[in-house]
Amino acid sequence: MPNAASNSAGAVWSVLRKECRTEWRTRYGLNAALLFAVASLTAVSFAAGRLGNRTDIMAALFWIVLLFATLASMSHAFVREVEARTMLLLRLVATPTEIAVGKLLFNLLFLLVIEAVTVPLFMVLMGAPPVRWGDFLAVLLLGTVSLAASSTLVGAVIAQTRGRGALFAGVSLPLLLPVLAAAVGGTREMWAANSVAPSLRLLGAYAVALLAASLLLYDHLWED
Amino acid sequence: MLWRLLIFVWIAGWMVAALLFAPQVPVLHETTRVLYFHIPAAWIAVLALGWGMLHSVLYLVKRDLQHDDHAAAAAELGVLFTVMATVSGSLWAKAMWGSYWNWDPRETSIFFVLILYIAYLALRGSIEGDEKRARLSAIYSAIAFVAVPFLMFVVPRMYETLHPDPIINPRGKVDMDPMIRTCFFAMLIGFTALYFWLQTLRVRVTRIERRRELARGL
Repeated sequence: MPNAASNSAGAVWSVLRKECRTEWRTRYGLNAALLFAVASLTAVSFAAGRLGNRTDIMAALFWIVLLFATLASMSHAFVREVEARTMLLLRLVATPTEIAVGKLLFNLLFLLVIEAVTVPLFMVLMGAPPVRWGDFLAVLLLGTVSLAASSTLVGAVIAQTRGRGALFAGVSLPLLLPVLAAAVGGTREMWAANSVAPSLRLLGAYAVALLAASLLLYDHLWED
Repeated sequence: MLWRLLIFVWIAGWMVAALLFAPQVPVLHETTRVLYFHIPAAWIAVLALGWGMLHSVLYLVKRDLQHDDHAAAAAELGVLFTVMATVSGSLWAKAMWGSYWNWDPRETSIFFVLILYIAYLALRGSIEGDEKRARLSAIYSAIAFVAVPFLMFVVPRMYETLHPDPIINPRGKVDMDPMIRTCFFAMLIGFTALYFWLQTLRVRVTRIERRRELARGL
């Protein structure tokens, strides 16, 4: 059924385009997330001062800033639909999996934009030593995929509860701890000039496991 | 009723036997005794996690609320046993390692299990409607199932542990003093029976509550 497959891909693409367009019209989600990321970065940098050669602490702080940015902004994609009462309409035109995959791609893009601002700023403010770009970007990218995959599923669940945003951070945390452990480990090894391969394997395995489980679970997200 | 009595006598009897007659392990000395309580509690913490996740997945497949009742009961009991394992382990750590908490890999994984249970229960508490609560919390439980092996087995292996199974059990198989082994396995069986008895009790209570709510609604 090549037709159904291309229809699905088309639907995912439409959801992604629609997400980007609505975000771009108001930009309040992106602005709020960027402001939050920069605020937490400033707080960390101000409190810790220049760490110089303590790259182990720097790696931890780096991922804490990204984790906070994720926890603060990622529930937005689904909560916005519920608050604008547009979820039902969206479900009429696409299957749950198509919606969720579209939102997942949007969340990924959203995180990459935030990182494009936060990462250089972090390096400058914290006075970080030069990075090994290949290793660093690999850890960053795999970590970002895991953050987005976990946030998309939890965000879709949380949007249907009474707590919504307030619950998101607490409920996401257990799923994000493996990402945090592996990504901090990888970043630390990168700065210590050791091999990042073990951390990359762990991050990759976790990202794949999360994505596979998500694809099985998306179908159960909405039913009434 | 008979079950309840049997479990009580079994656990009490073996506990007395363990405290009075079982010998001590060289390095652990008097603190050996935490073994009969702490490990069974930790085992139940993990068993309840698996039991709850199994029933969550079964709920998604079969859509029978009974599975959700089991998942919820397992999470509640899981918190109880996890706290018991954490507190007894922490007291033991103070005696042996000199501090209540220092993020040993074993401490990390039990802490993770605890926050997982709490997040799951917080999520349940904020969803209205039985079917919706069952479905959404089952989804969360299923995705957490992916994280569990990473946090319980993979991440802790990345760090050195001071936890004494290398001391009690140096060759990677059960290799204890016969008296310790008998008491330990008896307590393991006792705790498992206790858990499943409490589990059926909790599920029955939920069922009665639901029936009463229905009756009141009519």
